[in-house]
Formats: sequence, structure tokens, C-alpha cells
Amino acid sequence: MKYIQAIKQNKVAYLFLLPAMLVMLCLVFIPLVQGIYYSLTNIDQYNMGNRFVKASYRFIGLQNYISIFSGEGFAEFSKVFRQTLIWTFVNVFFHFVIGLGLALLLNRHVRGRAIYRTLLLIPWAVPSFVSAFAWRWMFNGQYGFINLMLAKLGLQPIPWLSDPFWAMTAVIITNIWLGFPFMMVTMLGGLQSISKELYEAAYVDGANRIQQFFRITLPQLRPTIFVATLLGVIWTFNMFAVIYLITEGGPYNSTQILVTYAYNKAFSSWQLGEATTYGVIILSMLLAFSFFYTRLLKMEKEQ
Amino acid sequence: MKKMLGLTMAASLALTGLVGCSGSQSAGQPQQAPQNTPVTLKFWNTMDPSETKVLQTIVDDFMKQNPNIKIDMQNVPFSDAQSKFKIAAQAGDGPDVLRCEIAWTPEFAALGLLKPIDDKVSEEDKKDYLQAPFNYNVYQGKIYGIPQVTDAPAMLYNKRLLKEAGVEPPKTMEEFKTAVKKLTQNGHYGFYLSADSYFFQPFLYAFGGGTITDSKEILINKPESIEALKFMVGLKNDKVTQTNFDFANQYKNMMTDFKDGKVAIIFNGPWATADILTGKEFQDPSNLGVAPIPAGPKGQGSPVGGHNYVIASSSKYPNEAYKFIEFMNKKENQVKLAKELRLLPTRKSAYEDPALKSDPIFAGFAEQMKVAKNRPVIPEGGQIFKDFTPQIEAVVAGKASPEQALNNVADAWTKLLKK
Repeated sequence: MKYIQAIKQNKVAYLFLLPAMLVMLCLVFIPLVQGIYYSLTNIDQYNMGNRFVKASYRFIGLQNYISIFSGEGFAEFSKVFRQTLIWTFVNVFFHFVIGLGLALLLNRHVRGRAIYRTLLLIPWAVPSFVSAFAWRWMFNGQYGFINLMLAKLGLQPIPWLSDPFWAMTAVIITNIWLGFPFMMVTMLGGLQSISKELYEAAYVDGANRIQQFFRITLPQLRPTIFVATLLGVIWTFNMFAVIYLITEGGPYNSTQILVTYAYNKAFSSWQLGEATTYGVIILSMLLAFSFFYTRLLKMEKEQ
Repeated sequence: MKKMLGLTMAASLALTGLVGCSGSQSAGQPQQAPQNTPVTLKFWNTMDPSETKVLQTIVDDFMKQNPNIKIDMQNVPFSDAQSKFKIAAQAGDGPDVLRCEIAWTPEFAALGLLKPIDDKVSEEDKKDYLQAPFNYNVYQGKIYGIPQVTDAPAMLYNKRLLKEAGVEPPKTMEEFKTAVKKLTQNGHYGFYLSADSYFFQPFLYAFGGGTITDSKEILINKPESIEALKFMVGLKNDKVTQTNFDFANQYKNMMTDFKDGKVAIIFNGPWATADILTGKEFQDPSNLGVAPIPAGPKGQGSPVGGHNYVIASSSKYPNEAYKFIEFMNKKENQVKLAKELRLLPTRKSAYEDPALKSDPIFAGFAEQMKVAKNRPVIPEGGQIFKDFTPQIEAVVAGKASPEQALNNVADAWTKLLKK
């Protein structure tokens, strides 16, 4: 009752929201529910049906989840999950450190600041598939720029894309390059919103630069850091293009992360049931992560 | 757009029908009219740019001779075409005609995405097409396409390098082993080893192994297949292959090394010749040798590949579409593709062309075709490489033993074939 009254009171506002809600319903909620439903069926390309053949898949309960979380399925899943964690945290860590470092530098009054800012934004402005192809070529074991440079320096070439460790390193380097500008711009925005008086007061009280950084800059930046890293984790966790275009998940699946793996399940093996199950698992993980991360921030605030 | 076209079609049909009714005495005319309404066929081509250039001239010929049929040719990269077609066709938005890899054909047919064309293929054509390529078009007794080109990887070698090392083109795997050893010197090496399931198959056949039979029996982990993989990896351990393995770029690197004379022998198909002949080592085309892949202790061969022309079940103009692919596949046009691109025709009559017979590169591939082996004609045929290649990579990288890897492949295929 209370809700209906609230709606009545704000009729106009809800009227304005209605088109957006309808679009959300079609683009987000219906596919979401459909995806969750598919994860409970044995749907694949032979029984999914199309305009010419009737669908014949059936409900199989939690069978897909059980096969992913037990036996061989679990071995695969945990391998890919481990790779996803490494991929996500190494990336976000470097995005954050490099982004914050550059933001601190750019926040000072250096000559040609605008030029640096523009140049540093380039990786972000280039479409990621273009960068991915360029990096793939640079990582070429035989003809790539990086190995040619190493050879010039008299060093051994690195098997970038054919060794699991180096392949993971290669995709992470690419993604760091792609992702740090976003962090930098966000941090710079945060830094510029910190009022100058705080620093002046600290200076008068005799605080040195390091103390200023830890006592003023970091605490003031916390909300920015929180939002940026949360977004960073979600984006990186789901970053598809870089891995798919540079290593295709190879060599022998060692750079596969959950999203690329789910994509393979869906569009090369056409095991749509299993693929949507992976999708639901990814979604649940990110939801749980966001929930606890938000909690963590609240707790710290209250302290 | 398509709907609009359909509507105008319907409208014009209705109009011509009305004209017919409203008492015009010459009865023959109105029935002719619908055939003259222009039709646009969407054609997805998967050939590479240099091949497409030649194909375009044939398409243009067709449009000149059939002013009522417009061909809207779109280039879809080969690597994307399989899933792209599935997605588009399932939504009813596919092309009318697709240049379809042979292994995809039974899969698409099983999914109901292709139109059977039994009534359209003429008896002479059925007799003229080579048996192996034609078989890939038949699924559960119905014909779903016509074979455009066929192929099989052969042994391509740099004649100059072989001569300098004093070796003859090897005929057996034992000779091959000694030859590539001798060829690894002076800054070049013997053989480019592709850690790839497709290019592993010649070894499989040489040692008596196999992949999957048409009756869905899995042969990949029998002892002969394991023997074959051991032999292939042995080449790497003997250091007669490239030193730098780059799985993601290997095909490109193989071609570059061969064109630059850094590698003496590669296994590759006729589709690669147009590109190879642009290389500096093959400015004189006679330097390129083509011979069948060496025979092993238990056999010889390489996988038959190729492409078919198929008509999507969503096509509104199957008759026009067949007219188009029939034209594209005429003997003269197959000979044209063979002459300019050295793609192997699928018509027996095309092989009789004197100009082709005297071309050593073409003749070399024709020789290979005699010992080539069919891949399984099953709906899953187009999907078997996805689980296969990573395992070959693991073996080449020394992370898995041949037995282990091929057993993994067999497990994955068991799951795939179960449906």
C-alpha cells in the first residue's frame, strides 16, 4: 500500500521513468531471466530450434551446475577461475598504481600538462581490438618488435604467445596499457576536488609530503578509489576482447578466463546450457564481490 | 530492407496478375513478367582478397548474362563464417548463398539451415563431380550443396635449398627425417612445424592413425596415432624445425619464412600458392616444388578439404540461387580459378584442360589428391579441431606426453559425439 501511494504521489516522475524502465526490461531483465532459465536446461545447437526446426531441449534442473562443480568439470572450472583471479588482480593493481602515480604527477604544475594528458589518453581512445591486433603483432615470437629489440640488446627472445606464463604476461601487459588511462583520469578528477586549504593547513603544521599523502590525499580520494577499483574489477573480470584477440585463450587454454571460456562453450562448442551456467556463475561472483566490497567501505567509514 | 523488397515483389506480382485478368489477349506476356522482376541474392564469400579478385570477375560475368539477378557479394572472413552463418541463419537473416567449408555442410544441414537441392543438380553434373568432394554435400541421403574447390595439403619445397643441400624430395618419412636434418644449415632450417591439429593429420595418416570415422568411431588415441605424434614432436627435439614457436602467429610465420627462404619444406594446401608466389624466393615460380607428403610405414595422405556452394533454407529465391552457383561452378570457371589461383577443381572434366595439366604446381597438388583422405562426414566434423589443437600445442611445448594429450582429445570427442 505504502508503495502504491508513493507512486501516486510521484506520478509524473514515474511517468518519465517508464520508457527507460521498459527499455531496461527488454534489454536487461528478460535476457537475464532467459539466461538463467537456459542454464537449467540441456539446450545446445541441435535442440535449440530455429525458424525451420522445432526446439526440443528440456529442463534438467541443476545438472549443469553439478557437472561444473564436481569431477572433471570442476578441475577445468578451477583452472580457469584461478587464471581469472590472476588476470583481474594483477591488472587492477597495475592500473591503480600507474594511474594514481601519473595522476599525482599530472596534478602538479608542469609545463605542457595538457599535451601529456592527451598523449596518456591515447591507449584508451584507440578501439581495443585495434590495439589488441597491434600488440599481437608486437608479441610475435619471430618477427615481433619486442623480440627484435631483445635480440638487438643481445638477449634471448621470449616465447610470448606459446608459453603459458609469458602468454598471460603478454595479455596482462596489453590490458594494463589499455586500462590505466581510465584510472588516471578518474584519480586526477578526484585529486583536483581535494581542497587546497587542507594542504596549506598541513604545511603550516609542519607535515611533510609523505604525511600529507597518507593523511590527506588518500583518505580524501577514498570514494573515488572505491568506485574506480570496483568498476575496474568488474570490467577486467569480464574483459573479453584482449584475450580473445591476442591469444584466443591459448596456448592450450592457459590464458582462458571465465568469459572467454563461456564464449567458447557457447559459440564454438554450442553447449548453450553449459555456457549460460557459466554466465550465471560469473554474474553471481561479481554480485557477491560488489556486495562485500561496498560493505567493507561502509565499515571503514564507520570506524 | 528485405521485407520491403518482399512487399514490392508481392505488389508487382499482384499488379501483373491484375493486368493478366483485365482482358489483355496475349496470354504469354503476363506469365513472363514475374521472372523479369529483379532479384538480389546475398552471397557470403570466404575467399581471401587475392582470390576474391578473380571470383569477382566471374560474379560480374554472371550479372552481365543475367541482368535480372543482382549479386550482393559480401566478404566474410573464413575464421568467422561458421558461427556467423549459424547465428544469422538461425535468426532467418542469413545470406542466400554461402561458400561453405566442407565440414560445416553436414553440420548446417543437420541444423536445418540449408535447402536440399536434389531436384536441381543435373545428372551430368553428378557424374562429373569428383566423388570425395561431392560426398561432403550429402547428408542423410539428401544433397545440400555443390563442391566449389577441393584441396589437400601437400609437401611444398624450395628447390634451390634442396639442391644446395644435395637432397632429393623425400618420398618416405625416413627420407624426410634425414632430408630435413641436412637442410638445417646456413641460416635456414628443414621443416616448419605447425602445432596445429589440421597440419598434424598428414603424420596421422602416414603412421596408420586417424581422427574419427564416418560411423563415429574415435581413432585418435590408438597406438598408431600416438606414434605419429611422437614422430612429429621428434622433429622439434631433433632441432630441424623453427626455433621460435609462436602458436598464435604460426601460420603467418610459416608463410613468411617459406617466402624468404628461411625454411626449406612446409606442408600447405593449394590455397597458399598465390601468396607464396609473391615471395622473393619464388620470383621464379619454378623454384617452388610440389610433391605428395611422404609415405610413412603404414600409409600416406593428407586431409581432403575444400568448399561447397550451399543455399540457405531462408532463401526466398532458391531457383535463382541455384542458377547462380551452377554458373559459378561451370567447368570454364573452375578452370579459371585453377589457372589463376591453382585451386583444385571439383569437376573431372576440368582436370582434362591441357593448360592445367602442364602446370607443375597444379600437377603436384593433383598428385597429392590421389592419396588424400576424407575427413569424417558427420555434423560434428566442423567442431573437432577446437579441442584438438590445444592438446597438440601442449605436446609441442613439452607440457604433456603424446599419450596423455591424445587421450584428452578422445575424451573431449566422446563428449562431443554424444549429443
